[in-house]
Amino acid sequence: MNIRSQVSMVFHLDKCIGCHTCSIACKNVWTDRKGAEYMWWNNVETKPGAGYPTTWEDQDKYKGGWEVNGDGKLRIKSTGKLRVVPNIFHNPHMPSMDDYYEPWTYEYEKLFDAPEGADQPIAEPISMVTGKKMSVEAGPNWDDDLGGSPIYAANDPNLNGLTEEQKLQLMSVERLVFFYLPRICNHCLNPVCVASCPSGALYKRGEDGIVLIDQNRCRAWRSCVAACPYKKTYFNWFTGKSEKCILCFPRLETGQAPACFHSCVGRIRYLGVLLYDAERLEEVAKMPDDELVEAQRSMILDPHDPKIIHEARRCGISDDVIESAQRSPVYKFVMEWKIALPPHIEYRTLPMLFYVPPLSPVQASQNGDVVTHTSENLFHDIDNSRVPLKFLANLLGAGHEGPVRYALAKQKAVRWHRRAETVGDVDRELADRMLREADCSREEADAIYRLTSLCTFEDRFVIPPMAREQAIEMMKDPLQEKAETGFGFVGGMRKGL
Amino acid sequence: MSTKGRVDRRDLWPMRGRTLAASWLVILSLGAVPLWSQDPVEFFKKNCQSCHTIGGGDLTGPDLKDVTKRRDRDWLLRFIMNPQSVISSGDPIATDLVARYKNVMMPTVPGMNRELAEKLLDLIEKESALEKSQFAGVQIATRPFTPADRELGRRIFLGLQPLEARGPACITCHDVAGAPGFGGGHLGPDLTQVYARLGGRKPLSAWLVSPSTPVMQPVFKEKPLTADEILALAAFLEQRAGQPPPHRAGARVAFLLSGLVLAVGLIFAFDAIWKFRFRGVRQSLIDQRRASQAA
Repeated sequence: MNIRSQVSMVFHLDKCIGCHTCSIACKNVWTDRKGAEYMWWNNVETKPGAGYPTTWEDQDKYKGGWEVNGDGKLRIKSTGKLRVVPNIFHNPHMPSMDDYYEPWTYEYEKLFDAPEGADQPIAEPISMVTGKKMSVEAGPNWDDDLGGSPIYAANDPNLNGLTEEQKLQLMSVERLVFFYLPRICNHCLNPVCVASCPSGALYKRGEDGIVLIDQNRCRAWRSCVAACPYKKTYFNWFTGKSEKCILCFPRLETGQAPACFHSCVGRIRYLGVLLYDAERLEEVAKMPDDELVEAQRSMILDPHDPKIIHEARRCGISDDVIESAQRSPVYKFVMEWKIALPPHIEYRTLPMLFYVPPLSPVQASQNGDVVTHTSENLFHDIDNSRVPLKFLANLLGAGHEGPVRYALAKQKAVRWHRRAETVGDVDRELADRMLREADCSREEADAIYRLTSLCTFEDRFVIPPMAREQAIEMMKDPLQEKAETGFGFVGGMRKGL
Repeated sequence: MSTKGRVDRRDLWPMRGRTLAASWLVILSLGAVPLWSQDPVEFFKKNCQSCHTIGGGDLTGPDLKDVTKRRDRDWLLRFIMNPQSVISSGDPIATDLVARYKNVMMPTVPGMNRELAEKLLDLIEKESALEKSQFAGVQIATRPFTPADRELGRRIFLGLQPLEARGPACITCHDVAGAPGFGGGHLGPDLTQVYARLGGRKPLSAWLVSPSTPVMQPVFKEKPLTADEILALAAFLEQRAGQPPPHRAGARVAFLLSGLVLAVGLIFAFDAIWKFRFRGVRQSLIDQRRASQAA
């Protein structure tokens, strides 16, 4: 066993209100620079929708992620040891600026400087690339404004496999339904961006699994941009280096949650450590699609198990981190309750950001003068939900409905249980039957309720001690730098001339 | 200031360190160089032979046979050890020599010292006394040129006949009257008139025995021409000397144009080969929608 620790995340989609506060927090901290205007390390998408960059989930076009080839080996879809040579100066499957969007600002000064006239002055959009006037045709949250939904939402790759009726239902104006999908880098266990880099500039930090791009070693081949199926590495045209979400590691190292987590208005974000067995990586990444969700869970280890604790210590994981893993909210959502699922695990990068699938709006039925919210079949609403189960399964279950249905049923059971407890208009027996059918106990339901609704900062963010003073010993001798300008990974001291 | 004039130990130490390092360098280099070059025969082969013969006639530099009788030994020693300084001192003999040998100045040979220079002079004296010195150089036949020589020379020049030592063909860098196609390279001068320019058969042959230009010397030092090849080339160049230099203006334009045509052709070929390449997603979605609305 080769136990590693990974800082992992859960986004609770049922709580996301699509306010983009996370995106703005990230933008202001990290990508408000020349060359990074179009980058959104954190973005929020509307689903169904084409996303950012346009239809990023369509790997027939973008060729992101891994695939299992004929002889049962994992292979990068976009490149390879030989294929990298002819494509070294031009990766053929990269999104163009048009697929992201042309970043723009407005001529605000016109509002003040315009000469007096018969009309009100207006601030016209100005391209941040050319500096000229432009007509805005796309943006990073274009679906948000329902801009041309027949073009964008209708082309959501997750609609594959839905019946025409279901598709029509999603799109018809009176019954329009959507939910939000906030996205950051998944800090995958099997990161294809790292594997694809010809310069070896990307790496996964050994101590916490954060995936980073070394800005000194990056040679702008942009293989990572083409390889990442989530399109979460971006090329900075000004510095000539690629960049990506760094999970705010400078904040994590000082015990603070990443900016997008910290600022989240709906409190949908959770962060904590998971222990996993790195030896089983390849085996798990090769599993057939329908077993992938379960296989990834089987890699994640129980931090309470004395055997695992012993083994983790042997692998150099400190007691502080093990203790942090035991309190991890992510472990509860993913492993204990099994209601958080990885996005598009069929790309085989084994993402370590998990989503709690959203319940659709409550569907009521009218019976004479009585409006009812329950049907004969208790989980009827889930199977006939306004966001078809198949759509969520394409997004979170590699096309298989089982794990998604399980997560939704449990959430619904928790709601009915709490309703029986606090409002009392639901029969206690009915609530208990729902819990039973959803594979949930009263205690578990209460725990889910507490972590979902009453969670504090400390409950949501269990940040492990990063112990940089020890981690740095892997790379240099701290005593050598003693009495100099201090420690630092980013740009260490250089001695001599 | 009061400290001016005072000798501080801290000022001395780094100095001492540097001097130490320098003296070590000197000791090491003194030790290292003579180890392989102290043998004058080896040294002559490595450093002198490319420009001088002993009894084989002039090459780039003069024939050294009996040079110890022609000149004062002390002058010779000074010249060998530092030719530049003797020449720039305005020494009449040296000035005359430079003029006679087409302004090629002898370089200061690395690793040269008085002891070695003495040994070299001894070697030259000894070899001069012999009937045929081992440094007589390549002996090129003086028989009249035949049409076969000229033909062989043409083939060598154009690269149709590879050189024995696998050196590059002349046409790589030089043009000549009658070269086919776009003509020869432009790195070196046009060689049509070189036979006349150098002053005939003997100087041309000598030049080819050991080419002395910065480009040719390092290449042909390792891969020298054989006597037969030199004869053939001299025959070929003698024949060309009667012809006017080639006019390549048309050929240069043709070269440029054919390059352009090839480049444009390749662009279209690539476009056809990768006809179904990825060209972005968003625009095609909009185009599809527009097409379906129009239909």
